[in-house]
Amino acid sequence: MREITLSQAVNEAIAEEMRRDETVFLIGEDVAEAGTPFKVLSGLVEEFGTKRVIDTPIAEPGFMGIAVGAAMTGARPIVDLMFGDFLYLVMDQLCNQAAKTHYMSGGKLKVPLVLRTNLGATRRSAAQHSQSLQALVAHIPGLKVAMPSSAYEAKGLMKTAIRDDNPVVIFEDKLMYQDKAPVPEEEFLIPFGKANVLREGSDITLIGTSSMRQVCEKAADLLADDGISADVIDPRTIVPLDDETLLASARKTSRVIVVDEGHQSYGVTAEIASRINEKAFYHLDAPVIRMGAMDVPVPFSPALEDLTVPTPEGVLENARKLVAGELIHAA
Amino acid sequence: MPHEVRMPQLGMTQDSGVIVAWLKAEGDAVAQGDPLIEVETDKATVEVEAQAAGFIAGLRAAEGDDVPVGDVIAVIVSSEAEIADHASSGKPSAPAITEPEPAPEEKAEPPAAATPDIGDVAEPSPAPPTPPAAPATGKVLASPKAKRLALERGIDLTSLRGQGLREPFHARDLDHIATGGHSVLTAEVAGNAMTALLAASTETMGRQLFAAFAAGAWRSLFATDDAGIAIKALDGTVTTIGRADEPIVLTLVDLCDTRLTTYAPAGGGVTLCVARRTDRYDLTLSFAETGLPLPHAAALLDDIAARVEDPIRQLL
Repeated sequence: MREITLSQAVNEAIAEEMRRDETVFLIGEDVAEAGTPFKVLSGLVEEFGTKRVIDTPIAEPGFMGIAVGAAMTGARPIVDLMFGDFLYLVMDQLCNQAAKTHYMSGGKLKVPLVLRTNLGATRRSAAQHSQSLQALVAHIPGLKVAMPSSAYEAKGLMKTAIRDDNPVVIFEDKLMYQDKAPVPEEEFLIPFGKANVLREGSDITLIGTSSMRQVCEKAADLLADDGISADVIDPRTIVPLDDETLLASARKTSRVIVVDEGHQSYGVTAEIASRINEKAFYHLDAPVIRMGAMDVPVPFSPALEDLTVPTPEGVLENARKLVAGELIHAA
Repeated sequence: MPHEVRMPQLGMTQDSGVIVAWLKAEGDAVAQGDPLIEVETDKATVEVEAQAAGFIAGLRAAEGDDVPVGDVIAVIVSSEAEIADHASSGKPSAPAITEPEPAPEEKAEPPAAATPDIGDVAEPSPAPPTPPAAPATGKVLASPKAKRLALERGIDLTSLRGQGLREPFHARDLDHIATGGHSVLTAEVAGNAMTALLAASTETMGRQLFAAFAAGAWRSLFATDDAGIAIKALDGTVTTIGRADEPIVLTLVDLCDTRLTTYAPAGGGVTLCVARRTDRYDLTLSFAETGLPLPHAAALLDDIAARVEDPIRQLL
């Protein structure tokens, strides 16, 4: 199978959907001429023109509001939010309007909108351009949240998001745009709410979202050297969350580590750990461990920044403790 | 030689007893078996009989006094003339091992001739350091899965203590329990040397000595520093000997002052029972062969028996 970058995969997904459905359009800062700072959207304006690939001023609440209105009146906008950190600017349009309109209109209105943005630290972008804020929107009923973990997921989840009649926020890891993965030429969609079991083991379950999937896979490689076999699972979407697959694995291995790059406190890891505790408690042989980013603003100093995110070695260390049956009082 | 009346130990965990009433007064004549005092323990009030005939002298505790087990509370002298020699102001002598109520023949047992000066040996006390706070009184730490499996299999998780396992217990630890039963090995050990040694010790020190021998045997046999010992009383209370972080590898049950010989708890664990006969000790080791294979168990019991048979060598 051919391999393409995550950036190309997103580009393909959007292009395919724009060809398929003329109500789909792109809007955001630097989406047309520049093709975004990450060059994800290069070439789209040439094919679809400036009426469907719309450059905006630096005014996030404004173009987000335009998109919500457009979605309510029949279009299927894809909003490009240059950095996930700018979510704070569009909170009212997204959480108060887009997320609630279908409910508050008694089902008469729908908001088929995609907000594509990114997450991820260690790019030396400092505290205001390095956050992973998926927990913020996952908390709001009415929003779906997808977290692609490779080029394959980036394409399949984007196409599903565009076709969904609900507002969807999709987070791409900004450090993975040049990462290649096998992606079929033929069309495919990845359903929401269906986790991907990447490898099967018997001793421990490692659940990783977005790029933390790769962290978990590397940790699983290291654990294999110890003779410890791990389930590695990518939830793919955190709203909806595939409880069933996660719980089945937890019941099988009795030990779980959840890894997500958002801040550890009040995060995605806490939600998943809590569901496992509640629904698989009597199968657990150890506490479910959360591993998120440190609860600090992401440092600009490279030496410090690298310390704030979960690493394969960190996952390995915790996994060894769980399997050894050490007394865990997780932080 | 006057007979010393000591506060008896009427329960396995009793440390002291309250004298409810003297049934004889100083100077009264008593026959062996006469009710002498009424003692109240935390469980019951019991009449204690005189173990010798003679005259009551030297009362050292009044009604209402809470007296430590083993303390002399009076003496029985053989003639009226000796009563005055044991005035009631006498200082109580050091606590000694409780006189076993139904074992009069033991009093006749002379100290073994082979035993060197007991006093010198007993001085560097062989008692292990003060045991850490017993975890046995606290909650058993176990994973939810281990708790569920224990419930399903009818296993008492406290029985995992004393098997060399560290808490928290996990699902795999339950595999150490042979739910089907246990194996039993018994050793008979010549007891003169040990009895003579224990005559100079308290009951607690005696137990700690047995525990120290068991720990020593375990350490040397399995080449480990981790050999905590639990001492389980028949009322179920458990104290531990060893460092706080040391896993309990063996549970000692002291049956010396009872008619009982063996206690093998269901659910496994390695349990050593010590019972005293006239001139010997019966040592019984019960164990699950899944956790402690027979050759190891046999070597362990043999080593402990050797230590009990020749305690002085161990202490020197």
